[in-house]
Parts: sequence; structure tokens; C-alpha cells
Amino acid sequence: MSKPTVGIFGLTGCAGDQLVILNCEDRLLDLVALIDVREFLMASSENDTACKLDLALVEGAVVSQRDADRLLAIRERAKILVALGTCAVWGGVAAMDRGADRRKLLEEVYGEQGFSYDTQATKALHEVVKVDLNITGCPIEKDHIVTAIANLLNGDLPVYPTYPVCTECRMQENNCLLMERGEICCGPITAAGCKARCPELRVPCVGCRGPVHDANPVSLAAMLAERGFDREAVATRLRTFSPEGVAQ
Amino acid sequence: MSKVVIDHLARVEGHGGITVELEGDTVGSVQFDVFEGARLLEPLVRGKRYDEVAPVLSRICSICSAAHTLTSLKATENAFGVRVSPQTDLLRELMFRGESIESHALHLFLLAAPDYLNYPSAIALSADKPAVVMLGLRLKKLGNMIQETIGGRAVHPVNAVPGGFGRAPAIEQLIELRSALMQGVADSDAAMDVMASLPPAEFCHYDTVYAALRTPSLDSYYAGDEVMVVSDGSRAIVHATDYKTLSNERAVPHSHAKHSAFRDKPFMVGALARLTVNPRRVTGKLAVAKKRLKLQLPADNPMDNNKAQALELINDVERALEIIEQLLRAGVKDEPPVPIQPRAATGTAITEAPRGLLIHSYTYDAGGRITAADVITPTAFNAASMELHFRKAVEQSAERDDATLSRKLQMIARAYDPCISCSVHLLRRK
Repeated sequence: MSKPTVGIFGLTGCAGDQLVILNCEDRLLDLVALIDVREFLMASSENDTACKLDLALVEGAVVSQRDADRLLAIRERAKILVALGTCAVWGGVAAMDRGADRRKLLEEVYGEQGFSYDTQATKALHEVVKVDLNITGCPIEKDHIVTAIANLLNGDLPVYPTYPVCTECRMQENNCLLMERGEICCGPITAAGCKARCPELRVPCVGCRGPVHDANPVSLAAMLAERGFDREAVATRLRTFSPEGVAQ
Repeated sequence: MSKVVIDHLARVEGHGGITVELEGDTVGSVQFDVFEGARLLEPLVRGKRYDEVAPVLSRICSICSAAHTLTSLKATENAFGVRVSPQTDLLRELMFRGESIESHALHLFLLAAPDYLNYPSAIALSADKPAVVMLGLRLKKLGNMIQETIGGRAVHPVNAVPGGFGRAPAIEQLIELRSALMQGVADSDAAMDVMASLPPAEFCHYDTVYAALRTPSLDSYYAGDEVMVVSDGSRAIVHATDYKTLSNERAVPHSHAKHSAFRDKPFMVGALARLTVNPRRVTGKLAVAKKRLKLQLPADNPMDNNKAQALELINDVERALEIIEQLLRAGVKDEPPVPIQPRAATGTAITEAPRGLLIHSYTYDAGGRITAADVITPTAFNAASMELHFRKAVEQSAERDDATLSRKLQMIARAYDPCISCSVHLLRRK
């Protein structure tokens, strides 16, 4: 059987999810031996930019028409399109622009020149094309991408935790930063899969993996309000990595 | 008029291209084009509390995420007049070294080396020279291991917070790091041998101006508040609070973008600049490596940045080992972060990210909410210098065919190790 053809792409973002793939140092050469990587601009200067792809891994958010056009072209070529990382799945930190006057922000950073730029309000991939699989995280976890490729090679979809960071944190028997130390911790509403990396280090969760399925931010906000945090402070914290209303 | 166009640079971080216009033998406009989308993070971070700033601004770039995080914390702590513990200073310097090892190994082996050996990628190179690629991956992993142990994660660290760390590493973890670094000593020597064996890349010579952090110990990526600029044998010092004299954006005739310059001259930042500014760092083993690499300082060839990174790999491994010995001797305390008392103030921090000078400058209100953020990245500093070197390379090239010029331009671009996500706010022009 011929190896499945794969393309690895970055739209607008920090390239962190592509970097996580390159960070699989021990498994990288074995991994690329199982697949036929046709396009990976960050790692190769020889790319087939037109071929059909069995699998397209796309990181970053759509922040320009150029991004949108690239994404549509990738969708056209790919049997399976995977959104890689919080920017691709939820919009990520750039999506804090929702509700802001983007024209004003552009002027502030670039001056009037900014108005001529190809730029648009930040979108997650699923707001532009059909996405077949989401792997969230800022950045994604190494194990999650390796498992995804292994599963997809066998015709399966990987399964990721559907519970919040809180559950993982409790399983590790950490003291609760929210209830016991009164810190704004996003653990109750954030998708698990990071093994509660931050609370494990006594650092409150910032929600970098995006909301868990069934997240109840209203209840968390109410609980924090009861503990004396002002609503605006809680709202800015909760909206950092995923804006409200980006339903999957 | 003809044009050499590199649409989309490969083997670099982010989305950029190069356009050079030729009129007969005369080089017309030269542009380093950046078409990375605008994320507008600086205005979007406004209103966040002081402890929320670093996690947002680290997302400017993954490869430099530790440098962005730590520079952000340093700027915040400078604003609030916070002095962190000596242990925190050591752990932060160690994180910087881990990031530098990872970044240099990634750049030298996966991005730059394939050019010299005529391969499109390290994956292709690994078919013929698996040992070389494995060596690079081992060093890269070592850098990541340091970042994971100290920072809690290799990309976008989580453990470094205002005032210190969430949790200090355990002694056993440091001992484990020490053994990995012992292997790293041999590996970084081998990496230098690989770099010394590559064919020379002599296609651009020009008297370059260099700028780097001036550090009290001559060898720190994190401590220090002054930049030294070296130009033609003369030296100038710029204090952190005057950083705008370095980033004084100037309009250039050939494009609408604004570039950094010091006294009207573009300057280069990064490994080569660090060695040029602090030449007394190059002693002992490093002096031997410098000779083996045939590296002259100050260099007039931007390709020498690759050699400088190879030299720094040796230095970073040595320095990381020293820091761990120091921590083990003193004993690691599980100390809570220094408490923060917010106040209305401005704080500026300068550090050395793997690619060079990085500046974060913030203003806070009395409640500890950020009201203004300014970030100037190494690639933004380097952009004008890159264009200058592109121009010189084309002018100095005897062959003017597209393939040759394009190869040379791409190799120079990669030698700068550009981080285009980082550079976006000063450069974007498409």
C-alpha cells in the first residue's frame, strides 16, 4: 500500500503546533517514515503545492484573505483536514479582537498604512471550511498529534478527554487554587488533556486549550463574583484564548 | 527590468518572501516582504492584569516563547520595582540557555545545514546522513528538556510567573538535566565539527554594524539593561529606557515599511552580534572552536551567524552546566514568587532571545492593569540589515541567473534565522 500523502500548514499564528511536531525528536524520523510528507514549508524547500492530500494538518487562525484563500485551497486538496491547536480550533489569542474596533487597532499599531493591509477579523478554521478533526492546545500536546497520526493511519479517529482540566487536577490530588487560594483558575471550564500542567505547578489555568464540551462559564463567573472578583476581570481572563460564541 | 522573486521563504518560521529588482546590472529595490497576518496582540493585551500579560505575549512566537515570557516578566517587574531572588535569576538564565540550545540546533541542523549540503530538508538529509540529523535532534531535545524542566513546557512555558516560579525544580530533576548536559558537551563539540566541515558560503561581504545586550558578566542572555552597538571599531551604549533610539523607525525610499537603524545605519542582532559585542567571552574552549570554525570577529559576512550559533551551542551547554552546579551547591529552595504590589509605572526590559535583542516595554495603571505594550523583536531589528545584505549579495554576485541569486538570497535570509511571526508589527507590508 502506498503511504498516505500529508501536508503540514501554518496560517497566522506562532508556528507552535508545527514546532511541537518537530519537537517529537525521538519519534520524528519514524513518524515521517510512515507517511509521505508532500508539503511542509517550515521544514522543507521542496514542496508539492498542488497534489491531493490524504491528510492536511493546519495550524493558525484565519486573519487575512490570503489565509482564507490558502485554507480553501487546502480543503479542496485534502480528504481529511485537521485543525491543529487553539488558534485553528477556537481562534486563539488573536480572536480577542471580537467586539473590538479592528480599524482603530490597526491604526494604532501601523498608522494609516494599516488600512491598506489584507487583514480581517480573526476566525477559527471551522468558520471558513469543514474541519474533520480538532486537536486543541496552545500548543498541542506531542502525544495527541502522534496518537492522531497513528489512529488515522488505521482508519480510526483519536479520542481525547471530554472532561475539564479540573478533573485531571483532582486526579493528581492538587490543592484547589480556586477554592482554597481564591485565584482565578479556568480549570473548571477548560478542556483537559494537558494533565493539569499549570495547577500542578501551582499556577492557575489560563484556559489555553479552549472550553471543554458543556463548559459553564456563567456559573464559574458567578462563583468568582461571590468571591469578590469583579466581573470585567473575570470576563477578560475567560476570553483570552477563545472568544464567546465560537460554537463547534 | 528583471526581478528575482522568492514567493514564500521555506525553512524559516512564518510567512515571508524576498523581491529584488534588477535594471541591467544595477540593483533597484530590495524587499524583505512579510505577509504574516496581523494579530494586533499589543493593543489586544490592554486591560489585562499584570499576571495575564506574559501568557498572551509569549504567543507572539513559539520558538522564542521562553524569551518573550521572561522578557515580559522582567518588564512587568521593572515597572513595579520587584527584585526577584538570586535563585529565580539563575533559573531564568537556565531557561534562556535551554531555549537557545533548542533554537540553534533546530536552525543549524533542520533549517540551515540542508542548504550547504544541497538537500531540500533535514528529512531528505537523514536518508544519506542519519547521524548528522540525529545529532541535531539530540541537541534540540536537550534544549527542550531544560525548558520543560524549568519552564513546565517546551513551547509557551507556564511555570515562570511575575516574581519567580510556580514551583522550583526538584534536585533529582536537576541531576537528570546534568547528565543530559554531559552528553550535550560531546554533542555540541560534534555540532561544531559538522559546521566547520560545511563548504564556505562567501557571497556577501560588508562592514556590518552589530548590537547586543551589554552584560555585566559578559555572558548573560537575561541580566543587563544596556545595549552596546559596535560600528567600525567604535562603540556606543544605549540604556533600556532609551530603547527608542534603536528602534527609531525610519521611512525607506524603496518601500512603505519603516526600519530600525542606529545613527542612520541598519544593524544586525543575534549570535554573531553577541560575540562581536562581548568578544572577551570567547576564551578557552570557545577560542579553539572559533579557530576551527575560521570565524573572524568582527565578521563581514552575515553567513557567519551560523558559525556563531555553533559556537554558542558549546557555550550554552557549558553555561547551563555551571548554573546547575551552582544551584545544586546552594540547594534549591521551594520559594513562593515575590509578592507584587502594582503601581502606575512604566517598565522596559531588554534581553537576548536566540535571534538577538528583544525588548518589551509596558505601562501599567495603579490597579496593575496594562495600558500600553510595545514589543520589538530581533527580526524587526534585523529587517533593514537583511535587506542591505541581500543588496550587497546581488551586487557582489558574478552570476546573475535567477537560480544562483535565489539560492544565495535564501541562504542569507536563513542565516539571519528570521522569526517572521515575531517581526510582524514593524514590517508588514503586503
